[in-house]
Amino acid sequence: MSHTPHTEGPETFADRVRAIPGGEHLEMCYSCGTCVSKCMIQQKVEPEYNPRRLLRMVMMDMQDEAFASPTTWLCSECDLCYPACPQEIHISGVIGAVKQLAVEAGYESPLEAVTVDEDKCSGCGICVMVCPYEAPHLIEKEVDGEMDTFSEVDADKCMGCGTCVAACPLGAVARPGVGNADIVKQIEVKRQPKGVPRLVTFVCDWCLRADDDVSLLESYPDNVRVIHIPCTGRIDPEMALMALRSGIDGVLVCGCAPGECHYKRGNYVSSCKISLLNTMLGQMNVGDGRVRFVQIGTQDRGRIRNEVDGMLRHLSMPQHLVAYKEAV
Amino acid sequence: MVDAARHPKVDVRTYTEVERVDGFVGNFKVQLREKSRYVRADRCNGCGECALVCPIEVPNYFDVNLAPRKAIDVVMSQSVPLLYNIDMDACIQCYKCVDACGKLEAIDFGIEDKLVWEDIGSIIVATGYDHFDPSVIPEYGYGRFPNVVTAMEIERLANSAGPTSGNLIRPSDGVSPRRLAIINCVGSRDKRFNPGCSNFCCMYGIKNAVLLKQAYPEMDITIYYMDIRTPSKGYEEFYDRAREMGVHFVQGRPSLITEDPETKNLYVHSEDVALGSVIEREYDMVMLSQAAVPQPDVDAVSSVLNISQSPGGWFMEYHPKLRPMDCPTDGIFLAGACQGVKDIPASVAQGSAAAARAGRVLHSDEWEIEPVVAMVWEDRCVSADGKKCGVCSRACPYGAIEYEQGKAAHVVTAKCHGCGGCVAECPHNAITQMHFTDAQLLAQIRALLAKDPEDKILAFRCNWCSYPGADLAGTSHFDYSTNERGMRVMCVARMDADFVYEAFRLGAGAVLFSGCHPQDCHYITGQPVGAKRAGRLLKQFEKMGMTPGRFRIEWISAAEGDKYARVVNEMQALLDSIPKEGLLEEIERLRPEMEKRARRMKEPPQVEEALGFADRLVEAMKAETPEPA
Repeated sequence: MSHTPHTEGPETFADRVRAIPGGEHLEMCYSCGTCVSKCMIQQKVEPEYNPRRLLRMVMMDMQDEAFASPTTWLCSECDLCYPACPQEIHISGVIGAVKQLAVEAGYESPLEAVTVDEDKCSGCGICVMVCPYEAPHLIEKEVDGEMDTFSEVDADKCMGCGTCVAACPLGAVARPGVGNADIVKQIEVKRQPKGVPRLVTFVCDWCLRADDDVSLLESYPDNVRVIHIPCTGRIDPEMALMALRSGIDGVLVCGCAPGECHYKRGNYVSSCKISLLNTMLGQMNVGDGRVRFVQIGTQDRGRIRNEVDGMLRHLSMPQHLVAYKEAV
Repeated sequence: MVDAARHPKVDVRTYTEVERVDGFVGNFKVQLREKSRYVRADRCNGCGECALVCPIEVPNYFDVNLAPRKAIDVVMSQSVPLLYNIDMDACIQCYKCVDACGKLEAIDFGIEDKLVWEDIGSIIVATGYDHFDPSVIPEYGYGRFPNVVTAMEIERLANSAGPTSGNLIRPSDGVSPRRLAIINCVGSRDKRFNPGCSNFCCMYGIKNAVLLKQAYPEMDITIYYMDIRTPSKGYEEFYDRAREMGVHFVQGRPSLITEDPETKNLYVHSEDVALGSVIEREYDMVMLSQAAVPQPDVDAVSSVLNISQSPGGWFMEYHPKLRPMDCPTDGIFLAGACQGVKDIPASVAQGSAAAARAGRVLHSDEWEIEPVVAMVWEDRCVSADGKKCGVCSRACPYGAIEYEQGKAAHVVTAKCHGCGGCVAECPHNAITQMHFTDAQLLAQIRALLAKDPEDKILAFRCNWCSYPGADLAGTSHFDYSTNERGMRVMCVARMDADFVYEAFRLGAGAVLFSGCHPQDCHYITGQPVGAKRAGRLLKQFEKMGMTPGRFRIEWISAAEGDKYARVVNEMQALLDSIPKEGLLEEIERLRPEMEKRARRMKEPPQVEEALGFADRLVEAMKAETPEPA
């Protein structure tokens, strides 16, 4: 009784996408472009990125173009677009369906995946737990005649947030460009005259939508060091401790608002880590808000200025300028 | 409006609500609540002295709360009739207005609401629409960012009689904006809020842009749109004119508005679909073209007037193409946006049409209806014995059946449209439909299945869709099985389960249950009533172990002659695929069950008699056509 389209004729590319859970409702798209401007990938990473066009390609059966499109590979399923879509299309679901078909067809992700150093990996499985994309999994392998467990990363699934890198207790997982060493060497603030607080700010690549806000960070004098990281999930509490030990007065971590994390739940992981760290610092008597985690929403234009200035004001208060290095 | 108020035959009742509507076309009894203004209509001359002295200010609803009004005031200065009105929620009863009114003595705090009954011949519903509240779309920041305003607010701000005397200023700092963005489709064409198109926003967005461009030629105005819809006469030319005047159009639905916390300027984030890239532009002010939505009290009005609603909440017309201003209930007519979003020319056209229709009622002494109305056998109705029932009254889409426990149900003939839903629903066979009585229909079934019933496909067709659909199959010369035997009822709602049981009891090979597509029902909700019953039957037959496909439900429109032929042929193919012995065995096996279920069908008057006639006729037919040797 119900009208089912596409029952006759050969199965098209669009039919195959539709058949995968998540790929439904594709045909409801009327190309309003809401998803394109809600997403930050086109502005920040890849001018060719365009979910609206990918959906169009699927509908027009442009299979090869769809598989080769950066949209297929760069979508991190943050689902910022989903609640804004007036047609209620789960766009990341459709993109995921295209990606699945592309992987089956032998295409590979152009993103650089994290790598596992098998000499260091103990097979503990923490990376498997923290990854929002189910990219790492444990494998059994024979080494020197004995069976041992290792983590292996599925390169097609890894989006490169680095949450696993921060979580690995043995430093066995590395992400090219933002390895522990790359970040640690940036934690350095020049000595300042008395009364000027020194601040390290970790900023996730996605929480600042406005270009003005990004360039604002560059305009701070050299008592504020800004370190860009792919996701606040990449923060290792040890980095904050390292900064405090080297005499830096405070650490500010800026991430996305709850529910808006570009890597699904990196901000949640880091908010847990930093609240635990603050509890620990409190027990060591170096609390007082020296490490602060702020979550900046997509509509919070200009908030970063308030947050950095507020942190600097907080750190300039007299009680904070006493030496605490001993405690650390 | 002033002319209407002065006309000797027009009685304008403002500030009055319809409480109850009884009766039927030409003979409505309407109860009105004349709400108390606390001002005597026969004395107030609209001088306004009272408002000048009133110390209380409340937000002015007419100015979209952008300006204050007094607790005693008129809605707007052009109100007809020009009567002042006290807002008792705000009034502190200082009686300064009473002193100001002086000798006129028009203000009387003792006046109460008045309930009056009126005899009314016909009713026109023109209750209009309401505006969608865009604050529920968080990404546009309405209510949070002061310079994001709605179209209605711009309308008041740019109006010379408005709170700013026509000077467009932005709310945050009172400065005239230099750059204005207009965002279309706010809350419309959006599955989250209103899936439908609001029809006139494209045009009023362009109109506002053109008016503002005329008043402020330097202003940079951009309209963000998904599609520009300018379908009526002269509209596309108006759109051209806006472009010629320098209004910018960007195809792309903005996903986000952000605000600079210092300047309170707004940044609109959108894709420019033509460029395929994201653009972020700074504006001083943003106007949201909000969707039109039904009035908040639409449910109350529809239950008072017994009008059904379309899915969006708009009042339902009799027929979307042929009778767009009529209600399914005779004597009630629809005008304007309460029936569905429409712009001014369309509303005027519909209003005029509704007035002409209403006039036709007022000028007739008699009102002609279809003769196929329902009738209650009062001695059979259990309600008369004091039992609780009312099934018929609930099944009637027109509210034509008056049900009161202790009295037999009563059909208001003038309201009945003859779908027959009540007849089939009545569990006690206490209602019948003129010209489609149980006796007549059962006799027809018997005659149609007189010979070799196991070869026959008995098709129940509704009068408005599947019967003409079958006609079309015939006039189009589509081949379909000659074993099909069609039977007409007014609506699927009339297709009693007893008829289907009886057909199978008589040994019918297959039964087709066909009617209109759900949205096309001629009798508002007849199709769903019939569809529900058919679904129940299908399940029963499945349980009994009937071969799937022998009972088939299909919705076939009057234009789907090909579908009718295809369905019948498919059913024939199914019958051909079942071995004859197997089919006969199945019919025999199910017969007692069918007999049991149809046991009450002979209860209504005349049925036995009619069946007797049918049987004699069948015998006579058999005698005339001897079996070929």
